[in-house]
Parts: sequence; structure tokens; C-alpha cells
Amino acid sequence: MTGNRSNDLMRKGGIAVALLLVFYLCLFWVETGWDAYKVRILNLSAIYIGITLGLNLCNGFAGQFSLGIAGFMAVGAYTTALLTMAPQTKSAVFFIDPLIWPLNSIQWGFLPALLMAGLVSGLVGFAVGAPAIRFRDDYLGITTLGFAEIIRVVFTNTRSITNGALGLKGIPPQTNLYWSWTFALICILVMVRLTNSSYGRALKAVRDDEVAAEAMGVNLFYHKCLAFVVSAMMAGVGGGLLGNLITTIDPNMFRFPLTFTVLMMAVLGGLGSITGSVIAATLVTVAMEVLRALEEPRVILGMFLPGIPGMRMVVFSIALMAVILFYPKGFMGDRELSLDSFRNLAARFRRRFLYKQV
Amino acid sequence: MSNMNDFALVCENIGMQFGGLAAVSNFALSISERALYGLIGPNGAGKTTVFNVISGVLSPTAGSVKLFGKDITGLNPDEIARRGIARTFQNIRLFRNLTVLENVLVGHHLRREATFGEALLAFPRYRKEESDMLRTSEELLEDVGLGDVAHYRASALPYGQQRRLEIARALATRPRVLLLDEPAAGMNPAETEQLMQLILDVRDRFNLTILLIEHEMKVVMNICERMTVLDHGQIIAEGTPSAIQSNERVIKAYLGGGVIARH
Repeated sequence: MTGNRSNDLMRKGGIAVALLLVFYLCLFWVETGWDAYKVRILNLSAIYIGITLGLNLCNGFAGQFSLGIAGFMAVGAYTTALLTMAPQTKSAVFFIDPLIWPLNSIQWGFLPALLMAGLVSGLVGFAVGAPAIRFRDDYLGITTLGFAEIIRVVFTNTRSITNGALGLKGIPPQTNLYWSWTFALICILVMVRLTNSSYGRALKAVRDDEVAAEAMGVNLFYHKCLAFVVSAMMAGVGGGLLGNLITTIDPNMFRFPLTFTVLMMAVLGGLGSITGSVIAATLVTVAMEVLRALEEPRVILGMFLPGIPGMRMVVFSIALMAVILFYPKGFMGDRELSLDSFRNLAARFRRRFLYKQV
Repeated sequence: MSNMNDFALVCENIGMQFGGLAAVSNFALSISERALYGLIGPNGAGKTTVFNVISGVLSPTAGSVKLFGKDITGLNPDEIARRGIARTFQNIRLFRNLTVLENVLVGHHLRREATFGEALLAFPRYRKEESDMLRTSEELLEDVGLGDVAHYRASALPYGQQRRLEIARALATRPRVLLLDEPAAGMNPAETEQLMQLILDVRDRFNLTILLIEHEMKVVMNICERMTVLDHGQIIAEGTPSAIQSNERVIKAYLGGGVIARH
């Protein structure tokens, strides 16, 4: 028995390693061969996959309707940027109020900076979450939205740390496909492990019925905080990767529409579905770029149409309405795509079409 | 009178005041270990309020609750569950989107030793705990007759089985005292019969002390050894089923005073 199981584990591990190798080879091929625009879109997809999964953990799996994700992304982005920028760039960027010590003289590697971003946004997540999770549903949403705005306003005004409304420029462009997709993979792995563990079941129990969960011995404070903090950490690291991808950040990037975009990805994919989040985050990121064509001025049938900024959002609104009408729980609901589900589908297909005449 | 510590569950002079309304006042109860105790009374008598006080959903405005001699008054519900009181709810409160098995597994969560980090990294201690949990949960579901439907969504079960599942989930916390809030509500006579058997079975198998609220007189009179009758938040009678059945005040509370029965 044990021998079989360990053989099975070895086999599965082998397959996983092989798949990872192929995946990173693909990334290498894309990173070196494709044009910068496509690489940028793929980077963004990976970053949004991670952040969407974080939001889905809090809003979908644990049922805590939080709208603070943009705030946590801001914390992560600023932390990473301030830690990775070169001291001379910093002194050039902070020309009104100089950056405070010790931030003005240090430069960290990208990995420790990202880990720090996760840690800091996790702490902020706890500070925001611990009082806010006393609320439920819409009230929690409004409270967290308010906290995210507070973070943004604080960042606008602490000029000697964040350079205020001018934002940060010249952030080293260290994010590449390996960083972003490793982040995405880690987020996926964390989500799969977490949601299938005893802790994940407890989170889902809290979502389905708080009173009953508490009566079954689930500590509400601990578990809600857990979801909140892990979610904030994912958003923080994602924000850090985003900042070092586009190399310039300012507080206005982290307004409510950013939260809304991530929320839209999670809802389209299905709150409570990991695969749903992955698919929707990728689709929406790609669509955001593809639909830019709608906003460009063009000539159709001899008529000149000026470009209308914001047409993309109209398309997204319509798409969102369509999804809510036809798939009220998102593409995936709370189901997952796995090898088993493909097998089931194939079996159903066979039964339906191949054995019909028998 | 024996020592107070000999009782499994003791309520002393519990009062629960909502603003000007006294939902329960001067409520006292002593249940000895392994007893099957009934709490009955007309609608609105305060039975569920008593349950909510014992299980920690409400903090009583007066009095105390003791579990095997230890004061548990006003603790959080999850702490009380950890100390050994489990309950079911009057209107079923299952985790609707989880499977039957997962519902029971949640009941095991409070005894976990593995930390969140260990669970995330699948450490051996966590993996062992998880497989133990899975095994005992499956056994428990077999025991209460839900083995066949273990992988159904809880919301897909018929009503009677949902009630059973609530009991199974409560048992998964390994309680010493089980509170059942109207377990037979909405059941047909056959289901009620099975339920009574189940309650007697689990009491014996798990060495439980059971306190139950019930409207179905057949259940209460058949399986409870003693009972307390509440009306308007006050205890009006206490004793064995036969004594309660012939108690004038109880009859008056249920049928109304001053009514002349017409034949």
C-alpha cells in the first residue's frame, strides 16, 4: 500500500516538475522572442491572476465583501519601489521634500523588497481588517473602501516618504515574466492548498453561516483575519510587481476603479472558483488591451469617427451585465476545472454520442 | 442534595433581559451526566433564548452557566464549543454550499493541532490530522445513516436528512453536552421515530448529556427522563414526564386558562 502511494506521489511529482520545466521554457521563449507589448500584457495577466485570487479568497471563499484591494496594492507598490530604487534616482525624484532616512540611502534586491511588500501590506491588512470585520456585507464593503481611500490620501500627503501627488518615477523595471508568473503560480498553489485544507473549509463555513460556524468552534476573528491578511499580502506583492513593471506609480493609480477591475475579474470568473479567477483575470487583461482599438479614431465606410475614450469600459459593462444575466455565479460558479472534470466531460460526451444507438 | 459539580450542566438563576422585555428570568436547571432532559413550553416561552445563553450566542443579564462545575457564562460560542457543548438550530443552519462530508469535517476543525502554516505546506502532522479527520467523519456519517450521501451538497438533502446532518456535525466536535433545538420539527411520523432512535443511540455511544427543546410531545414524553416547562420566561413545572402530563399549570399554559372544553 505505502509503496504504491509513494510511487504514485513520485509519479505525480515527476509530472509536476516536467510541466513546470516546460512552462518556464515557454516563458523563456516568450520573454526573448515576443515583442515588448505582448510580453507586457502577459506580465499584467500574471499579476492580475495573483491579485484576483487574493480578492477571491477574502470575498469569495471567506465571504467577507472587501473593497480595499487597491489600498493594499498601493502599500505593496510603494514599499517595493522605495526599496528597489537607486539612491541617486530617489534624490532626483524627491526634489520638493527629500526622502527620509533610512529609505533615501538603501537599495534592496527585488526578492527581499517583494517579501517586505507582502509583509507590510499584510500588517496593514491586519490593522484594517481587525476592526472592520465586525461588519458584514455592504457595511464591510463601505468600511474597507473607506480605508483604501484613506491609504491613498495619506500617500498623497506624506510627501517625504511617497513624494505625494508627483508619484515615483524611474523605478527599476525588474518585473519580467519569470517573476510575475512565479508569483501567479505561488498564489494558485497557496489558494489550492488553503481552500482544500481544514482552514479553507472553516472559511467556507464562515461564509455560509457565521452563527453555525461559531457554534461549531470556528473562531470568527481568527479566520476572518486570516483571509483578510493573506488577501492583502497577495495584493501587496502583486502591487509591487506592477509598480516595477510600469516603472512609475502615483496615488491616483490606486483609486476605486482599480479595485473594481479586480472585483470584476473575480466576479466574472466566479466568486469561490480558483480556475475561474485565473481564466477571467487573463481574459479581462487581454481584452483591456485588444479593445483599445475601439478608442482610436478611425474611418468606417468613408465616415470619420473620432476616438471616444472610455469605450472599452462600455464593452466591459455590457459583458458584465450579460454574464450576470446568463451566468449569475460567473463562468465557473464555485466549481473548478481539473483533470477529473475533463474526464467526466469526456465520459458524458461518450455516453451521449457514441452509445446512443446501442 | 449532591454536590453541584456532579451535574453535567447547571444553570443558576439565569435572566435574559432585552431592553424592557424579560425573555427569561430566574431560570434554573441541573442536568446530571448522561441524562436526556427536555425543555418544553408554548411558543415564545424563552426556550431558544435559554439555548442561546448556554451556547454563548447571548450573554445572560443575570445568573451563570456551569459545565461540569466550570463557569462558562458569557464565553464566546466557539470557546464554549471547545469546552464541550454542541448544538443544533431550530431553523436548520447547515453550511449549504459544502458537501455533507465537509460539513462534518468543519466540526472537527476545533481540535486541529496543525497551524495554518503547516496546513499550507502540507507538513506530516497536518496530513496525518487531515486523514484522521476524514476517517472519523466518514465513520460518523455511516453511523447516522448518511454514508451514501457524503458527497452531496448539504442543501441538496431532503429535510429529514438535513436535520440528521446537523446532529452529525454537532457530534463531530466531540461534545459532552448536546443541545438539540426542536430536532423533530417538520418531520413525518416515520422520520420522527427514526430520530428518537438516533438520539437514544448517540447518547449511549458517545456518553452524552442531552438537553432538547421539542414541541412534538411524543418525542419528549417517550425519551426524556426529566423535563422543565417554561412559560413567559418562567419555569412553571419540573419533573418526570408523567408528573408533567398531569400538572395543572402545564395544561393551563398549553390550552389556555379559563377555557371550558366543549365536547
